[in-house]
Amino acid sequence: MSDIETDTDPPDPELKFRGGPAASAIPVAVFVVWAVVQSGLFGIGDTTGLVVGMLVGLIAGMLFVRGDWKTYADVVFDGMTERVAATAIVAWLWAGMFAQTIQTGGFVDGLVWAAEALSVGPALFPAVTFLLAGLLATGIGTGYGTAIAFTSLVFPAGLLVGANPALLFGAILSGAVFGDNLAPVSDTTIVSAVTQNADIGGVVASRFKYAVVAAVLAFVAYLVAGSTLPGVDVTGDAVGGATVWGLVHLLDIAVVIVLAVGGRHIIEAVSWGLIVAVALNLALGAADALSVTPADMLVFRVPETAPLDGLASAPVVGAVVETAPSADAAVGGSLYVGASGFFPLIVLTLLIVAGAKVMQRGGGFDAVLTLLLDRVATTVRRAELTMVLGTALVNAMVTINTAAEIAIAPYVRTLGRRFNVNGYRRANILDANTSALGYIFPWGGGVLAGYGAMQGLVGAEATPWFTSAMVVNPVTVWPYVFHGWLLVAVFVVAAWTGYGREYVADRRSDEVSRV
Amino acid sequence: MSRFGAFLAGLRFRTATPAYEAGETLDAYVTGRDGSGVRARIGDTVLRLPDADPALVDALVRLRVTSFDPETHEGVADVVEVVVEAEQ
Repeated sequence: MSDIETDTDPPDPELKFRGGPAASAIPVAVFVVWAVVQSGLFGIGDTTGLVVGMLVGLIAGMLFVRGDWKTYADVVFDGMTERVAATAIVAWLWAGMFAQTIQTGGFVDGLVWAAEALSVGPALFPAVTFLLAGLLATGIGTGYGTAIAFTSLVFPAGLLVGANPALLFGAILSGAVFGDNLAPVSDTTIVSAVTQNADIGGVVASRFKYAVVAAVLAFVAYLVAGSTLPGVDVTGDAVGGATVWGLVHLLDIAVVIVLAVGGRHIIEAVSWGLIVAVALNLALGAADALSVTPADMLVFRVPETAPLDGLASAPVVGAVVETAPSADAAVGGSLYVGASGFFPLIVLTLLIVAGAKVMQRGGGFDAVLTLLLDRVATTVRRAELTMVLGTALVNAMVTINTAAEIAIAPYVRTLGRRFNVNGYRRANILDANTSALGYIFPWGGGVLAGYGAMQGLVGAEATPWFTSAMVVNPVTVWPYVFHGWLLVAVFVVAAWTGYGREYVADRRSDEVSRV
Repeated sequence: MSRFGAFLAGLRFRTATPAYEAGETLDAYVTGRDGSGVRARIGDTVLRLPDADPALVDALVRLRVTSFDPETHEGVADVVEVVVEAEQ
């Protein structure tokens, strides 16, 4: 029964390359090589450097275009204006402001205090971090936002109690994978459901049976690894800042989670969390419970020569205006730093989505997947394994996982339907492997997002003890993203054994609707 | 399906070759041509639809099984109705 239908010849690509459709992968390939060399071999985590890598890749790809180069330029523009890029950008900007404001409000100190009070030692810390990061990510639906927030807030706290840095970063990324996979408001969840014609609520409910198996195994793995891997030495003085008041920010985190789970838009949910965080900082700062001032959140450093320089001594407004030498004139504070920290990553995202669009329109994806359909996926087991490994492969290659998911989704749909695999199962295969692979390899968007946040800890006001030697190189974290690896493993086993498999006739999907 | 039931649905090991009985009706995508008719492949089970219109490939149809051989996992079925037309 291997004579499955083979009417899958790829459509004629609208963008033609010298060297055929494979050459459409040049921009992404140049970027991946650049990212591996820059971050892996040279150990340079500069995101703006990756931006240059992607720019060079896009220029290199253009040189191979057959015919009018304007077509190529138009595809680059089409890619950059994809909604998926805007979604990631919005998540980063809002989550960045929120996370930075909580950090300014002493949340790290609060967690350190709690870890000390509850005797959460270095062995238990990574496992607990995995659970909490998973909870936050499931609530706010952005794995990148969780990776950033937890790396900014919980990572330094973990180092202070003696947890292993690479293991702890892996635990944070695992939590991000868990939430990205499960959250109803996650962009990858929405893409998986919508592209496979399944309702979002049903998709989320149906993926518990995979996610929980992987999460339980990952939790045990973090317990075991946490008690065997060593931490780093941090001077005892740094621990002295631990205070219970930083924990009040659990309240604004709860606001975000409750609103997000309740179906509010991520902008709305995080905005309310931010408003509560700012209010708590102002109130507790005024009461001297937290060492935070309005200027820590927003400050205009006005040069002495400016016409409105006198505002620095004015009531109310003066709290966010400081007089500074002309050379130091700037806007600052947690809102500014939190948002601006993502600018290089935002530009990188736009360019990568453009590169993926070039590969899609140039026929690179089609060529690969047609080969899979005709030669590899000849039984339902092999078809599901192809969906699992194909999704994993594309996501391993493309930094931004939502972009990779959008690119592979039509093929998962086609392949699954050839065997009457139902929409829930297809959506689960698609999203689990998308979520997992986006947080494992050094060029993965989630890894880069967390890494960027970690670099911001070096010499920061809240973490003066954090040195560049404590930054985890993205190349070293991949073995420790236990939940990511286990989720892929669960789906490989599920494809082979039929665990969780449902056919179209077994259960019809409800109408697609956004939660 | 209840909210709780949605969490438990599919929580089992499903065979690659589902079996059907004559007279049973089910929904399935028509997955390709089969001689002058079409076929619906469900996992590694094949239901032949000998009199169906080839234009139904990729359409979701309701089938009634007329015969099924559990040894070869192959059967014959009729199209009762078209549930969702094929996408163009």
